[in-house]
Amino acid sequence: MSRPTSRPAIIRALLKKELTAYSRDLVFLGLTLVVLIAAPFLFHALPDSVDESITLGVYPAIPEMIGDAREALAEMGATEEQLAELDDIDLAAGEEGLELIEFESEERLRGVIEGSLELWRTESGEMVYRDKEAGDKKPEDAERVEPDIGVAFPSDFIAGVAAGKDDLTVTVYSQAGIGEEIQTAMKSFVREAAYQIAGRELPVGMPDEDTIVLGDDRMGDQVTMQERMRPLLLFMVLLMETFSMASLVSTEVLQRTVTAVLVTPAKVGDFLAAKTIFGTLMSLSQALIILVFIGGVTSANWSLILAVLVMGAIMFTGIALFVGAAGKDFMGQLFYAMLFTIPLLIPAISVMFPGSAAPWVKALPSYPIIKVLVETTAYGGTWGDAWGSLAYAALWLVVLYFAGLFALKRKVETL
Amino acid sequence: MTGPAISVENLRFSYGDLEAVKDISFEVQPGEILGFLGPNGAGKSTTIKMLTGQLTPKSGVARVLGIDVSTDDPELQARIGVCFEEKNLYLNMSAKENLDFYASLFGIKEPDSVEVLRRVGLADRAKDRVKTFSKGMRQRMMISRAFINKPDVLFLDEPTDGLDPVTSASIRKTIREEAERGAAVLLTTHDMFEADELSDRVAFINEGQIVALDTAENLKLKYGTRSVKVRLRDGDGVREEVLPLDGDGSSAKLAELAASPDLMTIHTEEATLDQIFIQLTGRGLEG
Repeated sequence: MSRPTSRPAIIRALLKKELTAYSRDLVFLGLTLVVLIAAPFLFHALPDSVDESITLGVYPAIPEMIGDAREALAEMGATEEQLAELDDIDLAAGEEGLELIEFESEERLRGVIEGSLELWRTESGEMVYRDKEAGDKKPEDAERVEPDIGVAFPSDFIAGVAAGKDDLTVTVYSQAGIGEEIQTAMKSFVREAAYQIAGRELPVGMPDEDTIVLGDDRMGDQVTMQERMRPLLLFMVLLMETFSMASLVSTEVLQRTVTAVLVTPAKVGDFLAAKTIFGTLMSLSQALIILVFIGGVTSANWSLILAVLVMGAIMFTGIALFVGAAGKDFMGQLFYAMLFTIPLLIPAISVMFPGSAAPWVKALPSYPIIKVLVETTAYGGTWGDAWGSLAYAALWLVVLYFAGLFALKRKVETL
Repeated sequence: MTGPAISVENLRFSYGDLEAVKDISFEVQPGEILGFLGPNGAGKSTTIKMLTGQLTPKSGVARVLGIDVSTDDPELQARIGVCFEEKNLYLNMSAKENLDFYASLFGIKEPDSVEVLRRVGLADRAKDRVKTFSKGMRQRMMISRAFINKPDVLFLDEPTDGLDPVTSASIRKTIREEAERGAAVLLTTHDMFEADELSDRVAFINEGQIVALDTAENLKLKYGTRSVKVRLRDGDGVREEVLPLDGDGSSAKLAELAASPDLMTIHTEEATLDQIFIQLTGRGLEG
């Protein structure tokens, strides 16, 4: 005859069984391995730097613009010394990452920007236009030049600015996909160019630089694609484990093996504790394995990352318990898993497009987790920066975990 | 311990408005096998669920090994073994892994799982996953799991349901061995043959109530009628006559038929539990 055993011993036995059952589920084991292998591979395949250069198309060519202005300025009384200063004008001077492409006509500038015309640079540096619709062939040994934005100055721009005219119109062309902040920056650049030419502050208000920097100012140190993907990959691991855990729970419920467990000294609390510990450990350990391969953990941020991953793992375990209890079969389980996980994935995807998170996205339970992960791994966030998000995440964690716990407890007790 | 292994007094349970168990009372002594005989939905499984702590009785008192089942005392679960009607085994685990796991829940450090499997004829399949087992093998696994902690009380819910005669006989033999060891056995079945062969006493349960409780022999004596079937040649055919032994004048008629040159065979007959159940409840056991 056996005697009642201790709760820790029972939970240990249940955990051992969970591990055995998990290792025998070839579908989820395979998917887990795929994620563990594919995530680092995908991460390292992504660019680890940001192309910070901007190619700017200009019309007319700078010498042409100066040539037209020289005569007018001389008539206005400009000295030879002042006229000689015009030769020193360099619009791209001091603008790191700015490449100027001079165009022969505003029509060609516009055509290249809108894409109806192609511009190619040959090995000798010659610029060649290609009109695909007209049947032009692609030039050999040439690379395509694609200006992000084009600026067309009026022919009397320099003289007009120098004369203090305020009705000069500079046309800025941009591709439809160019962000508003780049367009604003270009407008600032045109004003700066005019300032250089006029040699004085123009009566035009310059935009406040702070307003065109979204998020933290990472000038010269922009967030790379890898950094953007890091939280998404970690989240994919948590999602994968949610499916696996939900599958284990629902199998236990549907095959009623849990009822066999509950006529032994094991209680419902032991069962739920084992599921929670196992689900959390599996999610957390895999997220940490991924982190080892994709980086982001430093001696300064490891404790914060560990804390937020533990919270994420418990939150997703709660969801897994709920899904496992609610799904009556595989399809039902898949439905509930999708119902929960797709909305939770949105914040991770929004990281791919900085500044795009809508207010409702910020209300999602996974948002604070993602936010802390991004701020910690990409922006050097600290505990002090993260406490607000952690508190919000903790609130959702309590709600989701106890909802899952309650659903499974109720299900088990009514089998 | 002294006294009954299972003691039930005025036990009731209902699922919403449906009263599944209505005021039942019975006792099972150590080493005794009590067969709960009744059709599906009669309340047999609900009674077992209450006695094993899966359901809380609405009223009444049930004690197993002297422990009130509604107290959620872990010692109760440590000393019972349960075989469910559904085959709730971990299919992706081997037979031995299944038994080792359950043994660990009982705190058994070094379970002799292979020996337990040997008792049910599965020792040679100990390392095979349960999902590769036939229905009969899974049922034997269920029985072996109920034995793993050498329980003082065994609850067996339809232990041979749907099995072939050979497997059924093997399982009955094992159950009898457990009773001989001293375990009290509460067995539910709707197989009157099984109840008759295996049970020391039989309880007829119908619509949540025990309608009769006694040894199978006493039930037959009390509710059945004894008779003799006589078969006689009748020209090219055969004629049968059934004579009640308890009726007036049957002895003289029997003597007359026994002396007949056309006599072929004489057989005594007794009522089956199935017939008695129908007599008492107005319905069959398969219903």
